[in-house]
Amino acid sequence: MEHAALDSIQFNEQIQGLMAPAPESTNSFTALLELPPPQAVKLLHSPDKAPTGSEKPPCHASILKPYPSIMSIIDGTRKLTFPSNTALIERAARFSVFAGEGPLAPPVAEVKNEPPETDSNPSSTQCDPAVENKGAKRKEREKKVKARSKKSKSVAAAESSGDGEKLPYVHVRVRRGQATDSHSLAERVNARREKINARMKLLQELVPGCNKISGTALVLDEIINHVQSLQRQVEFLSMKLAAVNPRIHFNLDSIMPNEGASLMDSSIPNMVSPLMWPEIPNNGNREQYQQPWQFDAFQQPVWGREEENTNFMTPENSMLSYDSSANSVPLQSNQLKMEL
Amino acid sequence: MRNQRSVKQEFLRKWITGLRRYSCDEKKNMSFLERKKAIKLSADIAMASTRDKTTRWSQALIANASSSGDTLTGSSKNNSSRSRKKMLMMRRRRPKVKSAKKEMSASCIAKRLVEKRTRKLKNLLPGGESIDEGCLVEETLDYIESLRAQIEVMRYLVTASQLIINPYP
Repeated sequence: MEHAALDSIQFNEQIQGLMAPAPESTNSFTALLELPPPQAVKLLHSPDKAPTGSEKPPCHASILKPYPSIMSIIDGTRKLTFPSNTALIERAARFSVFAGEGPLAPPVAEVKNEPPETDSNPSSTQCDPAVENKGAKRKEREKKVKARSKKSKSVAAAESSGDGEKLPYVHVRVRRGQATDSHSLAERVNARREKINARMKLLQELVPGCNKISGTALVLDEIINHVQSLQRQVEFLSMKLAAVNPRIHFNLDSIMPNEGASLMDSSIPNMVSPLMWPEIPNNGNREQYQQPWQFDAFQQPVWGREEENTNFMTPENSMLSYDSSANSVPLQSNQLKMEL
Repeated sequence: MRNQRSVKQEFLRKWITGLRRYSCDEKKNMSFLERKKAIKLSADIAMASTRDKTTRWSQALIANASSSGDTLTGSSKNNSSRSRKKMLMMRRRRPKVKSAKKEMSASCIAKRLVEKRTRKLKNLLPGGESIDEGCLVEETLDYIESLRAQIEVMRYLVTASQLIINPYP
């Protein structure tokens, strides 16, 4: 509830800031923003009394034409009760960014809302990372709340009926307000089993190659193998990173010119993705561990002298031919040749 | 499912800030294994913190890292101790399974196999020993997804840094 109140207050302030008398220059905009909220509210409430009241209605009408809902709210009631509607907040953010006001950028960053997707205003690129950060965090927070509520329910249910499966006698502690007769117990146990089965099906879909297997034990085997291979991949990649860089501090300023931009969309991955080999096969672990050493070895001579493409290609090819994991390697060498 | 791209971005950002702390603290050159450990640890912590302690495996990961005296997790020590106590208490509450029957029926065999594997899976998952079976599947799902995202980001970084060192003319 506090969250909603906070949102509404900030939304309030923002709308008031935007509704300020526009005919004045941008300096007055900042002046109005520095005003405490009650004064701004007063200005808003009594447009006729304000010195620039005559100009206010048309100006805010012109600005807010595309947002009739906001206009109706402002025109209709004297009381400013803004609902903490995410759609409205989103529109307000878009509008504020769209207006391109420099002094408005900090207040936009303060409001916790989703970043506008269609924004192309260059002046707001600075506040984008902050907004995006908060937006992502807010999304995550909402999902966390849902997950937490779900989890608390499932944990409670599990605690209440978890012992029932293991012991011969069913000693079940139930939550307040639930009966302990056998029917409801059985129902609850069945519901829990169904939930677990549904999640197992999800897992089966997630892990490649599990759909055809029937039987819990084998499916669990596959899942265990998959998790182990993923963990091994993490180890291998971290080793590779340590091998590639002499020091930990990655020279990342050249990769990421602006932090806020989506990294996966920039041009480098398009160049890089042909190089990234596809799924590292599960059985090729021994060869994978041998690879980074070879990488280190042939990187030194390449640094030493300024090489042309041909010299660069041959050590790479020799290393690739050494690697016997069949699927990924020929693909990679073909793609490398295409690049050059 | 979660928005994968934003999760990856968040993970990358946190990972890089964690790594920068390493490079600021120690000016001396670290050995290869130390570097690898540092990279992996900061990556794991960054991945766990993207879940922001909603899942048990992320809590356990951070708790383990902070217990080993790592400097990166200073802020989360309080939460981790609390969560660890909770996990220990949960373990004590659950009674041990006593198998009264010893006949080898098919269902018993099947149950034993499944139990073995769930135990193995629990050992794999960070902080998985004291997880209830109902939550185990959820946690594994989440963990697998996060691992995949982590691997993709790491791969991207590896190839990008290789490109920087050996740029194509």
